[in-house]
Amino acid sequence: MLNEILSIKNLAGEEIKKACNLKDIQDIRIKYLGKKGVLTGRMKSLGSISKEDRPEYGRTLNESKNFIEDLLNRQEEQFRSTELNQSIQTQRIDVTVPGCFVPFGHLHPVTQTLDEITAIFISLGFNVEEGPEIELDFYNFEALNMPRDHPARDMQDTFYINDDVVLRTHTSPVQVRVMEKNIPPLRVIAPGKVYRCDADVSHIPMFHQLEGFMVDKDIRMTDLKGMLELFVHSVFGIDTSLRFRPSFFPFTEPSAEIDISCVICKGTGCNVCKGTGWIEILGAGMINPRVLEMSGYDPDLYTGFAFGLGIERVAMLKYGIDDIRLFPENDKRFLEQF
Amino acid sequence: MKASYNWLKEFVDFNLPHRELAHTLTMAGFEVEAIEEVEDDIIFDIGVTPNRPDCLSIIGIAREISAVLDLPLKDVNAEIRKQEGGGPLIEIKAPDLCLRYSSRTITGVKPGPSPEWLVIRLEAHDIRSTSNIVDITNYVLLETGQPLHAFDLDRLAGNKIVVNRAGNENEFHTLDNEKRTLNKDTLLIWDDEKPVAIAGVMGGLNSEVSESTRNILLESAFFNPVSVRRTSKFINLKTESSYRFERGVDMIGVKSALDRAACMIADIAGGKVSHITDIYPDPYTPRKLCVKYKKINSVIGIDIDESFVENVLTGLGFKIKREGDGIVVTPPSFRQDIQRDVDIIEEVVRLYGYDRIPSTLPAVQMISAPVHKTQEAIKSIKNAMVKSGFSEAINYSFLNPEIMDKLNIPPEDRRRKTVFIKNPLRKEEEAMRTTLIPALLNNVSLNLNRGAKTLRLFEVSRVFLPSGQKLPDEVIQMCAIYHKDMSASIWDDKHDGFYDLKGVLENLFSELGIRDYSFIQEATSCEPYLHPGKSCAITVNGEKTGSLGTLHPSVSTAFDISGNINILELYDIEKIQKAVSPTPEFVSLPRYPYVERDLAIVVSKDITVGQAKETITGIDSDIIEAVSLFDIYTGKPVPDNKKSLAFSIRYRASDRTLTDSEVDVLHSGILRRLEENLKAELRT
Repeated sequence: MLNEILSIKNLAGEEIKKACNLKDIQDIRIKYLGKKGVLTGRMKSLGSISKEDRPEYGRTLNESKNFIEDLLNRQEEQFRSTELNQSIQTQRIDVTVPGCFVPFGHLHPVTQTLDEITAIFISLGFNVEEGPEIELDFYNFEALNMPRDHPARDMQDTFYINDDVVLRTHTSPVQVRVMEKNIPPLRVIAPGKVYRCDADVSHIPMFHQLEGFMVDKDIRMTDLKGMLELFVHSVFGIDTSLRFRPSFFPFTEPSAEIDISCVICKGTGCNVCKGTGWIEILGAGMINPRVLEMSGYDPDLYTGFAFGLGIERVAMLKYGIDDIRLFPENDKRFLEQF
Repeated sequence: MKASYNWLKEFVDFNLPHRELAHTLTMAGFEVEAIEEVEDDIIFDIGVTPNRPDCLSIIGIAREISAVLDLPLKDVNAEIRKQEGGGPLIEIKAPDLCLRYSSRTITGVKPGPSPEWLVIRLEAHDIRSTSNIVDITNYVLLETGQPLHAFDLDRLAGNKIVVNRAGNENEFHTLDNEKRTLNKDTLLIWDDEKPVAIAGVMGGLNSEVSESTRNILLESAFFNPVSVRRTSKFINLKTESSYRFERGVDMIGVKSALDRAACMIADIAGGKVSHITDIYPDPYTPRKLCVKYKKINSVIGIDIDESFVENVLTGLGFKIKREGDGIVVTPPSFRQDIQRDVDIIEEVVRLYGYDRIPSTLPAVQMISAPVHKTQEAIKSIKNAMVKSGFSEAINYSFLNPEIMDKLNIPPEDRRRKTVFIKNPLRKEEEAMRTTLIPALLNNVSLNLNRGAKTLRLFEVSRVFLPSGQKLPDEVIQMCAIYHKDMSASIWDDKHDGFYDLKGVLENLFSELGIRDYSFIQEATSCEPYLHPGKSCAITVNGEKTGSLGTLHPSVSTAFDISGNINILELYDIEKIQKAVSPTPEFVSLPRYPYVERDLAIVVSKDITVGQAKETITGIDSDIIEAVSLFDIYTGKPVPDNKKSLAFSIRYRASDRTLTDSEVDVLHSGILRRLEENLKAELRT
């Protein structure tokens, strides 16, 4: 009996050695270890073995079963890995086929520039405020010290809705609206669209501005300089020089225009700076006490500064865009460059 | 304002090359915008700000140079050697509009060409030479900033001048040979019978100096700036005179300019100068302003030497008296812009040099900066759209109202009630937009014409809707437009762009944390420019907030664009922002496994996926976790009027592992419900 088992074991061993593939292994497994398998049959008949022979017989049977199972598993693993390796060898994709995706879109360069500038001022503790684009003449002009019939109104070509309502020509009216409703200290920026009745190679009738202002006790002109220097250096780099020139705005006194060293030619002179090495970028000044008074602030107690800049202008310098008329056109080939 | 280098040098003996002089002027607030080299001279083009009419003159610019360089300023020679005969008859009947009128007659003049130096100088300053007398008035205007006018005395009825409003006189022939319409408040210069000039703007043809003129009357006056500005705007005529009068001339300089011109005329054109008639009822009283040194320093932020302050102000023509810890300043009559102490501070710092002021950063009290919710929502929306492949357009806010017809907008629609611009640049830009659609359609058209294929564009901007108030409602909208290129592509993407755009919106809502939204399709189109069968309204929290759909074929044709075009519109971002969930609330992860079963049914073609899904989820059970559609099929063997829908249903209980039999019961319950409610059949 024992010999019989051992010869089954040997036979199975031989067969496993000769097996060529996973199918053979499967067949051998069924033949010996399956429900009706050779070894399984012997296991079932264990009861008919005499009591004294049973332990040894059982042990031998188990050992043989484990031996065959182990051998089968090892061989199976061998075949599997061979088969996998073979199939991997035949599987090749063409990695040069284009990827499948919806390409990301692009924010308009004006938005990107505005976001960048806004972030700088938010990091300095400024709040963002907004005002209407269709604005009362009062906020756009009168409250900014530009009464009706004032020649300073000629500085901004204005679209009129009626005698009392205009398309705002600058973001400065937000200054008045904010001051009307709040008490200092104030640190505010007001980005938005503005309109001028003017269209040629270097002007578009709608563009974007960002107004910034600060009102507090002891705000000085040196602070305005420092703040704008910090801003210009953040946007155009620390190497950019600034030039402050006296100018005139009815709502600031003293008033200044700020030039930066030409970012295109680095100040040596080019088309963009018309050979001067300087590019005008900001209008600014100390808020005119009359404007503070009109908003109910005591100009002996509070001072403030305000500045305004054109976003398209900054974007043009930042990206080297040479034609302002590209901004409102929304040509995909333009938008996708930013 | 053009200014000649040589002419300036006649008043200040500076020793600067022209480029350095230009820089000096620019840094003093007089930006030299261009430098032109002419024969023997250099002409600066200087931007003079509206607050400085005194510098619309050579002497004014020279005064600035003298103050900056600390050099003496020479005076204009205006001394009349001999005065013969009485002054002319002058009467001011509108004293509110004419504050001073000075005049002399010059008799026995000989009109003729001007000397060459005068012609060259005028032409360098963009003034065409006509004849010696007129040229001299222009020369003095440039030199002093005071406009002058010469009348032919013999053509003035009664040999007199009356200054009065137009009243009933409604037409006047100016010397440029144009008929000008007047209003009753236009200030005119009259003789005894008729108007002879529009005060401060232009003289009349009827009293013009000509070759045959022998006697002239010379006018130098101060007219009310607002009146001149209104007249100039009303008759739409801007002249060298009106430009200066409306900014304000020097009340005191009126006489010296008259004398200067009279001298020059007598010298060049001959003639005898009469005594002066100077109607000046209310002489100029100088203003006194107190400035404290402490204030100067606190506004600027540095200590400026007191002697510097005094020196600079004196150089600019201000009179100064020390008083206590400050000074009392009397600005000259030509500096009407100096109204309060900060104006003087500006003068000080202007000449000190802005570039010499250091930079500091303000010391401030911390304040809380609240988040601007709408701005944040706009940012999230823009970023989500960009991630979905859409590029941002920014269009003009203008609208051509005629385009409403192209969009099929009905006559009573609110969007037809546009705000109109009184002075548009172009007829097509005469209104403010009430919808973002037309501009984006034009963007599509432009891009397609330039060879683009697939287009994904969006815009977030304000529209302007009637409010019944003075100012319209400004509503922030979002509009996205998707032009899908259906031509062959390597990846299978042949479905209608509608579903892409719907997916974009669902992603956007998910990003914003908006969960309660639905797509409502009704019998009629929710927007007149959308295809009635391929569009729907979008609701958030049960309220209509937008629309989604395919562009109506008739609108495509009207805009001359073709292809698969779908549009997504959100009507009010501020409203949508209010539906944004602030912070997501954590839900525990499930602890038990799910069971997934597929269900394919055949239903009539007019049953929607939404209906089927609602029927499934409508069953009374809390173990349906998700229902997802994975196939829609029409064609054999499904009958012609039917379609097959295949769903995968995921079951899960939160407190136990589900048994097969439990799921079987529910799954077949769902099928029965579909059979009963939708006449569905199980697809076999």
